[in-house]
Amino acid sequence: MTTVDDDAYVSELGPQAVAAEPAAAATLLHVANLRAGYGPVVVLHNVSLSVGEGEVVVVLGANGAGKTTTMRAISGTIPREGEIDMAGRSILKASPDAIVRAGIAQVPQGRGTFPELNVEDNLRIGAYTQRGGGIDDDIKRWFDTFPRLAERKTQKAGSLSGGEQQMLAIARALMSRPRLLLCDEPSQGLAPRITKELFAIIGELSRDQGIAVLLVEQNANLAMHIADRVYLLETGHIVASGDAETIAADDSIRKAYLGY
Amino acid sequence: MLKLNEGSPGHWVIRIIWVAAVVAALVYIPTKTNTSTIGDIATATQLAIAAMSLNLLLGYSGVISIGHSAFFGIGGYTTAILVSEYGWTQGWTIYVAAALAFVVGCIVSLPALRLKGVYLALVTLALAVLFPTLVRWGKLAWLTNGAQGISGIGYEQTPTWYNDHFARWQFINESISLPELRGREGRAIFLYWVGILILAVCYLVCRGIVKSRVGRSLIAIRDNETAAAVMGISRAKTKALVFGTSAAMCAVGGCLYAIQSTLAEPNLRFFTLLGSITFLLIMVLGGAATLWGPIVGAFAYVILDTRTRQAGESGEGVIGWLFGWMTGSPATLVLAIVLLIIVFVAPFGIVGLLKRIAAKFIVIIPRPAGTAPLPVSALEEPAVAGSPI
Amino acid sequence: MDRFLDAVFLGLSSGAIYALVALSLVVVFRASGHLNFAAGEMGTLSAFIAWAFYDAGVPLVIAALLGMAFGALLGGATEVAIVRPLEKKSPLAVFVALIALFLGINALTTGIWGAPPAEEIGNLFPNDPEDFWRIGGGVWRDRDIGALVVTLVITGLLFFLFQRTRFGLAMRGVASNAESARLVGVPTSRVLIGSWAIAGAIGAIAAILVAGNQGQVTPIIMVTIFVYGSAAATLGGLDSPGGAVIGGLLIGIIENLAAEFSKDWVGQEMKLGVALLVIFVVLLVKPSGLFGTAKVERV
Repeated sequence: MTTVDDDAYVSELGPQAVAAEPAAAATLLHVANLRAGYGPVVVLHNVSLSVGEGEVVVVLGANGAGKTTTMRAISGTIPREGEIDMAGRSILKASPDAIVRAGIAQVPQGRGTFPELNVEDNLRIGAYTQRGGGIDDDIKRWFDTFPRLAERKTQKAGSLSGGEQQMLAIARALMSRPRLLLCDEPSQGLAPRITKELFAIIGELSRDQGIAVLLVEQNANLAMHIADRVYLLETGHIVASGDAETIAADDSIRKAYLGY
Repeated sequence: MLKLNEGSPGHWVIRIIWVAAVVAALVYIPTKTNTSTIGDIATATQLAIAAMSLNLLLGYSGVISIGHSAFFGIGGYTTAILVSEYGWTQGWTIYVAAALAFVVGCIVSLPALRLKGVYLALVTLALAVLFPTLVRWGKLAWLTNGAQGISGIGYEQTPTWYNDHFARWQFINESISLPELRGREGRAIFLYWVGILILAVCYLVCRGIVKSRVGRSLIAIRDNETAAAVMGISRAKTKALVFGTSAAMCAVGGCLYAIQSTLAEPNLRFFTLLGSITFLLIMVLGGAATLWGPIVGAFAYVILDTRTRQAGESGEGVIGWLFGWMTGSPATLVLAIVLLIIVFVAPFGIVGLLKRIAAKFIVIIPRPAGTAPLPVSALEEPAVAGSPI
Repeated sequence: MDRFLDAVFLGLSSGAIYALVALSLVVVFRASGHLNFAAGEMGTLSAFIAWAFYDAGVPLVIAALLGMAFGALLGGATEVAIVRPLEKKSPLAVFVALIALFLGINALTTGIWGAPPAEEIGNLFPNDPEDFWRIGGGVWRDRDIGALVVTLVITGLLFFLFQRTRFGLAMRGVASNAESARLVGVPTSRVLIGSWAIAGAIGAIAAILVAGNQGQVTPIIMVTIFVYGSAAATLGGLDSPGGAVIGGLLIGIIENLAAEFSKDWVGQEMKLGVALLVIFVVLLVKPSGLFGTAKVERV
């Protein structure tokens, strides 16, 4: 990856926008100076963020800002440089399955279900890294939480609707008993009513199960409602951060990202 | 590092050197080497034609074919049937074979249009296996003579029209003239020159297609089917044309092969799947998607084949030590190993490798587009950067 | 009626062997997305290895199992050493390499074992002329029933593997969505190697069965069978294991019925033509075959 004077980047929003990291609950995920990209193209230049235990952190950004790249960098599926620590241990060099075992599960963009596998198998494969028992219990538990999935348990995942597939993807991620859930644009391709329902579910899950959530989104409005803290990502740099109310109250940010 | 502008005097000097070298080599072979070598080179030209036809299809349409042995066979058998059953002269059968293969090629391209990758390869595989099976079929024995094949179709003597009209033409004075060709050697030399000539024609045809509107639409299709369709380039027509031309070209090679072998039978290696595979390997060896690749590949293959066979029999040298104890000729095994190495190490083939080496020493700066027309040259940069491999 | 049954029985048995080759191709295709052109030849080489043990005095069944083990090793090695590194370059490179492997292994086996005396090998099942069953008027030889049994057993084992084991689930996951599989922590590398190893073992037993029927192992035993196997996989659907088995059995039955009842047009010599016709028709009408998924076409 080529070197570029990353620190010189200044957003239109002005240098004051990047607030100090709040002293939240114990930090679960700590990312600093993350650089990542695809081959010679560097997408993330200098990304730093953190997620505390049980927190819901939202990363907002337009198309091409690098949201999916951030997700991929954290879950280990693309090469990356910098610091990534999970519960104090570095996962920078870890392989994707080690990262899953470290407690991070990703709900990929576009759902990423296994279309030819039925719903139950989709869940079961989500628990691939769980070598101990209890998988059947987990499956039952998530079927109770998502009754619509239980109804379709022998149907092939490819035949489910968009919203159902999204739920399936979340449930699958939960099967690996994560401490941190990475959600990549869960609202993509879904009707607003379903998206609202989805975000409500994510928020509830986080509160009830104590799972931290790092969620990247284009659709800021709905995401803000469940967020504890927000980061703004602009072409590979974090240009603003703060807790949700502060960010929502900031006029310039509102205009640029929330559209009003 | 030598930098030359395209069309400059320096560039022309290089071109002239190239042409002179090629011509010198061409003349050297029939005059200074023995008859069997001439025969081998003649075979090389036939294989080069086949590989070139494959290259046309693969390099500019992205179509993988392991079925071209069928077209080679169509050529060979057309010649065989017309010569033995209907008493045609060998030369005229080439036109019929080409036309027939063109039609078959167009027909085959219809289903091929809709298939990609593996499925296309499967169709061509089936085609390659189908040809010898059909030839052997009892129902067609009246035409093909079944498993026995058709023999005695070679030239019995060098065509009289050559000896009557061209031999003893004088250039400048008596000592520089076209020789009479007689006997076995004469036949070999004749087939050699015919092969070279037809190879040159095929080369020009390929080059013409590459540079023409058809050629550029081929590349467009290969690189982005949707865009090509949107721009109105007729996929079906273009693909059919390329397939047909490729088939026709391959068939011509088959005709020459049959004439040289003086027979056509279903067991001939190059009429079977093994032959198709050999064409593919030759193309890769020389360099896919380059114009000279198939030619270099074919010559390399023939040299490899004869040398390893000799070494295998006599047990000399590295090849002999490694493979001499084996039954039969190690040629095929060596070819397979060479090919595996090539795919890993030099996927652009011999020509690609040479070009890369040459590029370190000489760079031809192309004339900007839209200026004076490109002059013809003996060695051309491929129209497409890089190769499919 | 007797002739009909005879043809059907024979068809089920030769079809069983086609089915095995087709299974080998399908397992690889599901995992790697490639057609293993060298499948037949890898089987042949494994059969020679089995013969080597048998010739040295090892009981045939053990020798066969050892041959299968070799096949598994060969398959896994091919994946790691050839397919995976070349995949990064281009799909054409893998294709060329597999074809070169086809040619190379064929040349190798010819070079090593091509000369007389022939490598004689026994049959895994009773093979004397009197070892047969009379069913409904038709004759079914023990060895032919045996081939079918082997195929059904292997199919059953594969089914169990795919549907009831964790690794099988991982294999299905990789076949369905390789990227997501990686995301949930499936060791895709191991799945790939495992798939090729299984395919190699299946190819080996197919070759051993064929060799047993012929009484000897020769370098060319699998060349035509490979074409039949490809036809079966095409008919059944390149990504459907069940389709592979059904396709194989169907082709076996159809070709034998055609040969028996249309001696004039088909006869024994044109049986292969039937398989080729199947390939053409399927690819023309429905390339994804009887049970394959359509997405596979858009490779």
